[in-house]
Amino acid sequence: MTTPGLTKITLAAPLLDEVMVALMRRGMPDVEVFAKRGRSRRLEITPHTNSSVFSQEQGWAVRAGDPRRSFFAAGTGEPLPGWPWPEATGRPLRLPEPSTVSETAPWSDPSELDAPLVGEREGLKLLESLGRELATELPGARLLRAALEDGSSESEVVNSRGVRARTRARLATLHLEAAGPGRSSASVYLSAREARRFHPTALARRLADRLAVSAQGAPPDREHGELLLAPPIVARLLCGLLPMLVGPRAGTLLAGLRDRRGRIGSEQLTLIDNGRLSGGALEAPVDGEGVPTREIVLVEEGVFQQPLLTWWQAESHPGMGTASGCTARPGWRDLPAAGPTHLFLKPDPRIPVASLLGSMSQGYYLIDATGGGRFDLGAGTFALPVCGFAVEAGRASAPVARAWLCGGIGDFLQGIAGVGRDLTFQPLAGMIGAPTLLVSGLELRG
Amino acid sequence: MPFSELDTAAVARTLSQIAEKPDDVVDAFFERREEAELPPEDEGPGLRVRREEGFAIRLSREGHTWLASRDNVDAKPFAEALRQVARALPSATYPEPAFRMPPFEPDPRAAAELVGIPEALARAVRSHHVGFPSRLTVRRHRRWVQVVGPRLVAGQETETFYSLQAETTWGGHGAIHPRLDANALEGFAASLVHLFRARQASSPEPFRGNAILAPAAVAVLLHEAVAHALEADVLAQGGNPEAAVGVSMAASSVDVLDDPAAAPTGVRRATDDEGSAVFRRWLLRGGVVEQPLADLLWARTSPVFVPGAGRRATRHLPPGPRSSHLEMLRGDATDDDMLSDADGGLYLQEASRGALYPLSGEFRLHLPFARRIRRGALSDTVGPCVLRGRVADLLTRVTAVGREARPAGAGWCAKGGQKMPVWATAPTLRLEGVEIVPDEGGQA
Repeated sequence: MTTPGLTKITLAAPLLDEVMVALMRRGMPDVEVFAKRGRSRRLEITPHTNSSVFSQEQGWAVRAGDPRRSFFAAGTGEPLPGWPWPEATGRPLRLPEPSTVSETAPWSDPSELDAPLVGEREGLKLLESLGRELATELPGARLLRAALEDGSSESEVVNSRGVRARTRARLATLHLEAAGPGRSSASVYLSAREARRFHPTALARRLADRLAVSAQGAPPDREHGELLLAPPIVARLLCGLLPMLVGPRAGTLLAGLRDRRGRIGSEQLTLIDNGRLSGGALEAPVDGEGVPTREIVLVEEGVFQQPLLTWWQAESHPGMGTASGCTARPGWRDLPAAGPTHLFLKPDPRIPVASLLGSMSQGYYLIDATGGGRFDLGAGTFALPVCGFAVEAGRASAPVARAWLCGGIGDFLQGIAGVGRDLTFQPLAGMIGAPTLLVSGLELRG
Repeated sequence: MPFSELDTAAVARTLSQIAEKPDDVVDAFFERREEAELPPEDEGPGLRVRREEGFAIRLSREGHTWLASRDNVDAKPFAEALRQVARALPSATYPEPAFRMPPFEPDPRAAAELVGIPEALARAVRSHHVGFPSRLTVRRHRRWVQVVGPRLVAGQETETFYSLQAETTWGGHGAIHPRLDANALEGFAASLVHLFRARQASSPEPFRGNAILAPAAVAVLLHEAVAHALEADVLAQGGNPEAAVGVSMAASSVDVLDDPAAAPTGVRRATDDEGSAVFRRWLLRGGVVEQPLADLLWARTSPVFVPGAGRRATRHLPPGPRSSHLEMLRGDATDDDMLSDADGGLYLQEASRGALYPLSGEFRLHLPFARRIRRGALSDTVGPCVLRGRVADLLTRVTAVGREARPAGAGWCAKGGQKMPVWATAPTLRLEGVEIVPDEGGQA
């Protein structure tokens, strides 16, 4: 049996089948064979060197077992039926069946998958123009390192339960490190479907803002006013809260956050995970096990609906919620692991960021997180290092650096008073997206 | 040995065709690696084996590097990769050297070697009269490397080592070891027990005073504050990298070397990942910078730099300057002397991680716990804290160096996204007037 709509072409299906059959003949009824191949161009510039790397990668992975034990093996090249398989010593293997998660909508590959990889000259030009734009935005600022990687891949998975799926992917990443006046430094890591989506001017402005704030900003006193949180900060917060949103334990962890009306957040809070998000960097018809992806609403207008669940978690916890294809498999070396695909806070398309800023009489506009922060989910508190600006009468008045955004997780979720339209994704654990938020009830301290 | 039958002469002849200019750096890097992993008991599937091989061809000319890499070792992809890095198309097709690679030989010892480790470690923990649940991942890492240049062919290099990663409800702990013998397991168990006993300890108040660093903490300190600070590419971020040579950056009792040939058996190297011979490189002699870490490309920029410290985590990325095995020469202080002269200070047994901010010269060493020093002895335990300061200042505060240097695996280094193991042999150190603050869990 075949996962609907996913078997137009096969990469190495006959070979994968051969390996699967060979292992089944060795007494392993549960077998999954995964193969992936990709190519990428990586361009990097520093003040002293630049490099251009063109890689072609090809690998495979096999999970196999019987009702008592299992193993995992992976390697480069193509899988061979006679490979020296390791001894099966692990727990029994569970594999999805084609009917495990139903297909929600027909799928067609995005057209960008066929676009050529960024060329060497084109990529280097993009990085060099970023350096020039940065120097224009903030005199004295310079790029220490800029690395652009643009890659495409095809992967295929077959299993002995009848799942057969093939996907193509396209992903570009950009890593920038910059130095500015006063020995300030800043870095940015982004990803997009393809390299041509990176805009040097906007990125240079973002880096320049960070550098300027870092160089001129001072830590705030203990403040409790209104806070405007830019997307990178909200995405970091959501990333820290993932154990409360993903997997069967999520509901238990969230229980203490419910108010009298049963809400965990303000009515402005809607959280969604969608592996098929149109235009998303990880947009795909199936996940790493060949299970169809779909949209799942986790929190709707402040009310918790369900955690993000894989097929096996949903089977083990009936009634907890609908399963979706959400097992990530970044490469052939990796085992499938549960996690978000595109998890995002739903934006409000009517609200520009400028109107949120304009509505603030006094507070802070925090533009970026400067570290990973710490989250105590048991105690329901967090602290995140941030930088930004003090705001008076809707205008930035002074830079703020070396500051900590602190508070209760419940206070953050319940305190969302406004949601902007500028949904932006960050490559964290999967793609985590958020618009700018206007929040009250949190503390900013130096 | 997987590359014994590689026709290195034919590869060298082929490479010589794309080295058109006298200063061109051209090489082919062949690697084969295997990782056998025993996951925690509650995870399926069981024993996990990952095997890979491939190659990369590199041409560097006038500051620009072109590299093409593949995930298999064969004549056709080799010729394709060669064409991708060549700057001038030749009139004739490049010859395709013949490659004969033996298949991966399964090692029947792998499973037996790893399977008994969790139980042995549990016994070692119990011998400390404590018990707690933990999820342990054990890995054996093996790697074979062959570098071929147009004129020189380096010897084949082999590395084998092990890594342990334990997860508990109160935190995680990881370590790398050249061997998983009883000593290694006892050391890992003792670290886990220390962390367990310190799990509820409060962080110390901000403090400036004396600190004694045990060898495991010194290993991380050396890696971040000396090795990273003296990598040619890091030095270049602040200006002219040659200018560092001759600068006094530590107390005169501090001698630090990078010597890959003296690393523990199993990870010892005669050549680096560019095929250059390694040597006993004095990073600091008497506290003064003598020989920064450099690879072939940085060595082309100045006679001050000597190659031999080029490392790469994978064929898919170009090499860069990095340390392999740091060694701090021992001094003459006994542990008792150091403790008695550090009253009121903190004893820092282990570091969980460190970070160097090259532009500002700031340095942070994160410590999962520490012990107070009272009347020349270790007393109560305090919780997570950070030793911080500026590199140039911090290392001048070394006032005593222990008389016994011990192997202390510094751990994994992930600079520039290239994750690789780094090793160290270090004595105990006493520092005076250093700043220690509670660990806030991030950087503001």
